Amino acid sequence: MQGMVTVKNLSKTFISKKETVKALDDVTLTTPSNRILTLLGPSGCGKTTLLRCIAGLESPDAGEISIGDEVVWSKAKGISLPPERRGIGMVFQSYAIWPHMTVFGNVAYPLQIRRTPKQEIEERVRKVLDLVQLGGFQDRLATKLSGGQQQRVALARALVAEPKVILFDEPLSNLDAKLRESTRQELRDFLTELAISAIYVTHDQVEALTISDETAVMRGGVIIERGTPYDIYLRSDNPFVVDFIGRANFLEATITGYRDDGHAIVSCALGNIICIAPPDLAPGTKVTMYTRPESFEVVPPSSLTRENEFEGTIKSLLFAGEAYEAEVSVGGAVILAKLRFHIALEKGDKVRLCIDREWCRALDPRKEA
Amino acid sequence: MQRRKRLFHSPMVSALILIVGALTVGPVVMLIIGSFSQGIGALGKFTTEKYVTAYSDPMLPQVLVNTVIFTLGCASFSTVLGGLIAYLSVRTDIPFKGLFRVLPVVPMMIPHVLFAAAWIVLLNPTNGMLNLFLRNLFGFLSGPFNIYSLGGMIFLEGMLDLPVTYLVISPAMYSFDTTLEEASRVCGASNLLTLRRITLPILKPAFLATFTLAIIRSLAAFAVPSMVGMPGRIHVLTTYVYRIISIGWAPDYGKAAAIGLIVLGVSIALIYVYRRLVSESSQYVTVTGKGYRPTVVELGRARYSLFAFCSLLFCFLVAIPLITLIYMSFLPYSMIPSARAVSLMSLRNWRTVLETPVVLRALGNSVFLALAGATLGILLSVFVAYIIVKVKSKGSAILEALTFLSFSFPGMIIGVGFMWFLVQTPLYATIWGLLIAYIATYIPYGVRPLRSAFMQIDYELEESARVFGASFLRALKDIVVPLIAPGVVSAWILMACMFIRELSVSVVLSRPGTEVLTVQIMKLANDGLWGQVAALGIIMIGVSSALVLVATLLRIPVAHVD
Repeated sequence: MQGMVTVKNLSKTFISKKETVKALDDVTLTTPSNRILTLLGPSGCGKTTLLRCIAGLESPDAGEISIGDEVVWSKAKGISLPPERRGIGMVFQSYAIWPHMTVFGNVAYPLQIRRTPKQEIEERVRKVLDLVQLGGFQDRLATKLSGGQQQRVALARALVAEPKVILFDEPLSNLDAKLRESTRQELRDFLTELAISAIYVTHDQVEALTISDETAVMRGGVIIERGTPYDIYLRSDNPFVVDFIGRANFLEATITGYRDDGHAIVSCALGNIICIAPPDLAPGTKVTMYTRPESFEVVPPSSLTRENEFEGTIKSLLFAGEAYEAEVSVGGAVILAKLRFHIALEKGDKVRLCIDREWCRALDPRKEA
Repeated sequence: MQRRKRLFHSPMVSALILIVGALTVGPVVMLIIGSFSQGIGALGKFTTEKYVTAYSDPMLPQVLVNTVIFTLGCASFSTVLGGLIAYLSVRTDIPFKGLFRVLPVVPMMIPHVLFAAAWIVLLNPTNGMLNLFLRNLFGFLSGPFNIYSLGGMIFLEGMLDLPVTYLVISPAMYSFDTTLEEASRVCGASNLLTLRRITLPILKPAFLATFTLAIIRSLAAFAVPSMVGMPGRIHVLTTYVYRIISIGWAPDYGKAAAIGLIVLGVSIALIYVYRRLVSESSQYVTVTGKGYRPTVVELGRARYSLFAFCSLLFCFLVAIPLITLIYMSFLPYSMIPSARAVSLMSLRNWRTVLETPVVLRALGNSVFLALAGATLGILLSVFVAYIIVKVKSKGSAILEALTFLSFSFPGMIIGVGFMWFLVQTPLYATIWGLLIAYIATYIPYGVRPLRSAFMQIDYELEESARVFGASFLRALKDIVVPLIAPGVVSAWILMACMFIRELSVSVVLSRPGTEVLTVQIMKLANDGLWGQVAALGIIMIGVSSALVLVATLLRIPVAHVD
């Protein structure tokens, strides 16, 4: 596969004066071709190191990296291709726009290095600048552009030589919130349209979820979970992943048994709740159950009792624009629920809430937090 | 509040503009008037005769050619050296990196007269020690080196300008965003191509700025041209001016002023070129990312040869001259180390020097000028720097321009300007006249470091003190002063050391009774008394080291504030 990046047993240790840090701890990963994979994790988790090792800007200590069918780095085989021979494109966090060149100069550079004929360079640069909506900006000094425009110059430069894979190192983190949102959408559109293989590093979970086809969550130099954004957000049973991505209510629960359809029944502050739990836990096992604040629904007073329903008291109410953020005290616990704003609520009200069993999940007690 | 603040500031600003203006524009105006006057005793009697005689001197074209070769040579040599050392110490894995960040600044402590003296002792064509040694070794009949040449002058002055070029260029290296290079690598360019297409073009304005500053410095240089150039009859503009005012029966200060004005004009023009280049180079500083460890360039096989080269350079700069001086100070005349040399060693030079009344007076004068001059100079600089940084008004812009302007002033020429001024006052031939001229010439060296010290103090620190009830002066005393104290102390040390080794202003203004150390050293050197030069030189180095030491000890409690 053209844009597939395969990483095998990659390790890298940084030694500074005070401590040694395992930035990559035996990482194995195969990225999908023509799709976007994000590496998500808190700072210091090793995601940038992994990206830089793939780019050839950093040397691992052990393992092997291949891009497409070509081994670009291998300890065992003694292979170490410099970055310029790996056929990649990269967008840097600081954009790394060369200040002494025009927009054209920046974007044409990869082609000039490859000794592409002048005519063709002009054509291709114009095409790619049109694609990123910078047509007509050719002769501007690149540093005179706005942040968002510079970001698109960086993208155009990464695209122009049609690399096997494009690496993104937190490309949106220098933009302000509003611009970040629109650029994210644009970027997603470009990449999907071009069916490009991309590896995208970010510490911003919303960015990771919205931009990628697949997300790999890293922590302490290890990939701890990988899946579609949907699965990562709603179906993870890894405590760290759940806590790191989005907000969650964690409740202590005890397994009371399993139903025939495989769902577990737990007893917790919300009462007896049907939820999804790791299989084969003995009754009486203490687990942590989590729910996302968005998963709760208000049960109208007149309606019948629903599955997984409970009653609580609104302890505090915050109007956050798109919804109410309510703290609801129930059975000695306090949960956070995002409630639709068209329901009249007030602090101190009793409220009936329910939650679909699909969105109650017990964490695997065998995976450490 | 705002009103009261303005009211307090404006008389202070006006007073400062008046003082700094008198110190910087004053001598220039005097120089211009002087150049059109009939003589030092006839100020204001208009004549263009001085220009006619000065610019019709058949010697002048050769002097100009020499000056161009000398300044361009020094600037190229020192820019290449400074750029190389800065690159190696900031970006590569050269061994003892930390050391190479300190060493380039060390020559700032070396008095240029002594540096020149030591190399003359080593490389003069008749009995230079190194020349003698090489002759013995290879059987040359003469030479092989002649320091009294343009090449010799460029070699010495170029090395002495290294601290300046290094200090200007290394910040550009530090702030260089290494992802710019990484981006080029990822785009398919090799290391060397990246250096050529990305690194060097981006650093170009910084290099040009360094080069320009080095030209200004070598244009003003006097110690090396006078000690090395004059014996070889190679004159540059500064030594040419010196000849006009020091040789013959009637020193012609009008002619000196007429020539001096072109030097001054060129310097002022260049300092503005420098300023443009610096601002251009700062435009190349881009938004940097999260500060990922910048990649270190691996030198590979070149690592140790480059290290050897740098070590050799620092031997040339510090160790060899210093050892030569110490050795020479015990000898009656120049000779290669041998058993006979050891048997001839004595303390005679030291005794002679310390028993000469004029030398002792010079020592006293120099120490006084360093202590009093640095104290007054820094006091003035503190106020000027404060106004420049903290008060945004027309007045502060004028102050900034004035101090920046005087950054370009060649000491020798300003000395001539002061001569015209001082003769009209009772300050002529007094130590106070020298003191004023020193402060005027070196004020930028006080203001600029203090300016950066003030810039590091956020407005809000001071403003919050005001909000919590402190008056303007109280906030200054409680917040600003403790925070800039370390900066003040180091600026004081720098200025005191500069005054100890001051030569180009003193050589014009020093008179019997107001002798200073460097001028005495130059006179001894003119007489060929290298042993005494060395002894006195070491005493001089001792005095400036003592200053640094005392100030460093004093600084310890102050530095604890932050």
